[in-house]
Amino acid sequence: MRVLDAKDIVKEFGGVKALDRVTISVEKGDFYGFFGPNGAGKSTLIRILTGQLEPTSGYVNVLGVDVIKEPLKVKELIGIVPEVESPPSYLTGYEYLYFVGKVRKLDNLEDKIEKWLSFFDLDAKKGTICKDMSKGMRQKIMLASAFIHEPALLFLDEPFINLDPIYQRILRDYLEEYIAKGGTVFMASHILEIAEKLCDRLSIVHLGKVVAEGRIDEMLRSGENLERLFLRSVGVMPSKEV
Amino acid sequence: MLKEEYRTHTSYSGKSRFMTFPLFVFILSLGSGLTINKMLETVSLEQFALFAHTSAFMYGVSVGAFGLMGREYLERRYGRSNYLVAMPYLLPLSFKTTFLGIYLRDALFYVVLLLVPATLGLVAAAPFMGFALMSIGLFFAAILISFMFGMSLSFLASVIYIRNVPAFVVFTAAIAVVFVLFGVLGVVDPELVIPSLGFQMNVRPFPVHAIVALEFMAVSALATFVMTALAYALIKIRIDIVSQMYTNLLPKYHEKIQWLSGLNRTLISKEFVDLRRSGTIAKMFFSFVLPMLFLSFTVWFVNYGLAMPVGFNAVFYAAMTGFVGVLMYSWLNNIDLSEYYSLIPVSVPQLVKIRIIVFLFLTLGISAFFVVAISVLNGETELLWLALVVMLVTSLYMVVMTAYLTGLKTNTFLFDTSVLAKFSVLSFLPDLCLTILSFSLLSNWVVAFLGISLVLCSLAVTTVILYRGIDKKWSRTPFY
Repeated sequence: MRVLDAKDIVKEFGGVKALDRVTISVEKGDFYGFFGPNGAGKSTLIRILTGQLEPTSGYVNVLGVDVIKEPLKVKELIGIVPEVESPPSYLTGYEYLYFVGKVRKLDNLEDKIEKWLSFFDLDAKKGTICKDMSKGMRQKIMLASAFIHEPALLFLDEPFINLDPIYQRILRDYLEEYIAKGGTVFMASHILEIAEKLCDRLSIVHLGKVVAEGRIDEMLRSGENLERLFLRSVGVMPSKEV
Repeated sequence: MLKEEYRTHTSYSGKSRFMTFPLFVFILSLGSGLTINKMLETVSLEQFALFAHTSAFMYGVSVGAFGLMGREYLERRYGRSNYLVAMPYLLPLSFKTTFLGIYLRDALFYVVLLLVPATLGLVAAAPFMGFALMSIGLFFAAILISFMFGMSLSFLASVIYIRNVPAFVVFTAAIAVVFVLFGVLGVVDPELVIPSLGFQMNVRPFPVHAIVALEFMAVSALATFVMTALAYALIKIRIDIVSQMYTNLLPKYHEKIQWLSGLNRTLISKEFVDLRRSGTIAKMFFSFVLPMLFLSFTVWFVNYGLAMPVGFNAVFYAAMTGFVGVLMYSWLNNIDLSEYYSLIPVSVPQLVKIRIIVFLFLTLGISAFFVVAISVLNGETELLWLALVVMLVTSLYMVVMTAYLTGLKTNTFLFDTSVLAKFSVLSFLPDLCLTILSFSLLSNWVVAFLGISLVLCSLAVTTVILYRGIDKKWSRTPFY
C-alpha cells in the first residue's frame, strides 16, 4: 500500500529552482532514506511533503490526503521532526507535550506525556523551559512531540543530530520496532552509518534532482557501502580512489 | 552590519518595496510641507517643532534598547539566522565593539531611512512654500540630535537594567520625574528635557539667538556622547544559563479558560503562558499605558493648560485609544518564534485570530479605564457611553485591520511600503473623520452624532469583512 506519492515536485525560491521535478513514492512499512549534499533540497522536500510549504508545481498525496489542498489534515495523521530543533521557548517539556496532545485531541494524555518523558530520560527536567534546555534535550522534546500520537508515518529530518551515542542507539531501536509494528519512516540524514542499518529504500538528491532511487540492497555494488553509493551518485569519489 | 540590516528587511518585503519606504516618507513630508500654511491656522510652528522633536526623541528611545539583547536575542529569537551581533562568540572581538557597531548601524540606518527622506521632502516643498534651505538644514541637525539623544538614553537605560535592576528603577524614575515636571506641572521647560529643541527654537525660522542655540547644541551633543560612552563602558551580555524550574502552568490555564473550547482554548492558554514567562506583559503594559498617559496629558493640557477651544473631548480620546492600542498586537507577534506550529495541525489564520482575542483581552479593560477617567476629569460623563462605543469599535477595527495586513509579522510588514500605505490610509481616514466629528459634538450634536454613527457602522462592517478575509489571505502562508 502506497502511503506517499509525490509527482513532479518543483519548488522555486525567487527564480532559483530548489527542487526540479522530484518524483518519489513510499510504501507502507518502508524505512525510506532521503540523502543529498548540503543544500540539495532535502529539507525543502520534507516541508512540502508534510504540508509546511507549498510547491511551485507538482502533486503530493500522503496517506490518501492531497497535501496541497489539505495541509492541516495531513498534519493530523503524520509526525514531523524538523531539521532545527525549535520547541516553544517558554513552555516546559511537559507543557509542550501537553500542548501538542491537546491540539491533537489525544486521550490519556497524562500517561502518554509521562511515557515519553521517561523514554527520553527527561523526567527530572520536566520543569525546565525549552529555551533553557541543551540542544540534545530540545531534540528529544521534538522527537517525543512527533511520536506522542503514534502516527502511521514519520518524517524525520536529521533525527540523530544532537543526540548522544546512547540516545542515538535508543532512537534507532525504537524506529526499528516502529517499522516492525507497521509504521513507515521517511528520513533525511547525513549519518550514513546509521542510515545504512535502518533504511531499506532510498533516493539521493543532488542540485534539486533525484539522481538515484531504489532498494538499497539492489543499488549497492559489490563491496560498496552507502557512503560510496552516495558519493558515486553525486559525482564525487573518495580521494584515495581518484 | 548595515548590509545585514538591509538584507534582513529586503528578505521580508522585497528589495523594490523596501526601497520605496523612504520614497513614502519623502512624499508624506512633501505633502506636509505643501499644506503647512493650512495647518498653521490651528497649530503654531512652535507646537509643530515640539511635536517633531518629541516624536524623534521617542523614536530614538524605542530603537535604542540594545542593552537588553541577551542570550535569547543572540541565540533564539532569530532561529536559524545568525547575526553579526553574535560574532564575539566565535571571533576575537568584544561585545563592546559589536554593540557600538549596532548603535552606529541603527543610527545611520534610521537616519537614511527616515530623517533624510523627510528632510528632502521639505527641501522639495521649499520652492513652492518659500522655506529657506538654511532653516531646513538646521531643522535636520536639530532633529538628528533629538533622535540620537533618545537612542543614547535608551541604550544607557537598557545597559543599567542588565547591570542592576534597582539602579535602573532609580534611573527611569528620575527621568519620569523630569517628564512629569515638564509635562504635568509645567515646571521644567521642554528645552531642558530635550535640549536639541532649545537649539531648534533659537535658530531660523524662529527668532535667532546664536549663542543660546550653540549652548543648547553643545549640551545636546555632550549629553548624547556621555550617555553613549557610559553605555559602552558598562555594556554586559547576559549569557548566564538559568536553571530555574517552573511549575507547569499550561494545564492550569487550560482548565481555567472555560469560555473557549477545542483548539482555540489550547492556543490561547499557551499564549498566556508565553506572556507571563517571557515578561512581555510588563513591556506591553508600558508600551500601551505610557502612550495612553501621554495622550491623557495632551488632552488635559490642551483643554486646561493651553485653554485652546479645539474640543479634545472624551469621544476624541476614545477614538485615539483604539489607534494607540495597535502597538500591543505587534508585541504579541514578537514573543517567540512560531516555527513549531508548522509541525502540528494549526494554521497561520487560526493563530492570528487567537492573538486578536488576546489583544482585546489585554487592552479593552485598560482602554475603558482611561476613557472613563478622562470623561470624569473633563466633566463629560454625558459623553461616556458614546466614548465607550467609539473605543470598542476603533480598537476592534484597528487590531483586525493590522492583523489582516500584517499577519504574524507586524513589524516586518510595516516596512513594506505597499502594506504601510494601506495601513496609513485605513487608519488615518477613520481617525480624521472621528476627530473632526468629535470636535463638532458640542456645537452640532445631532450632525456629529449621526456622522460618528455612520463612521462606526462603516468600521464595524469593514472589521467583519477583514476578519473573514484573514483566512483567505494567510491560509497559504508558512509559519517561518
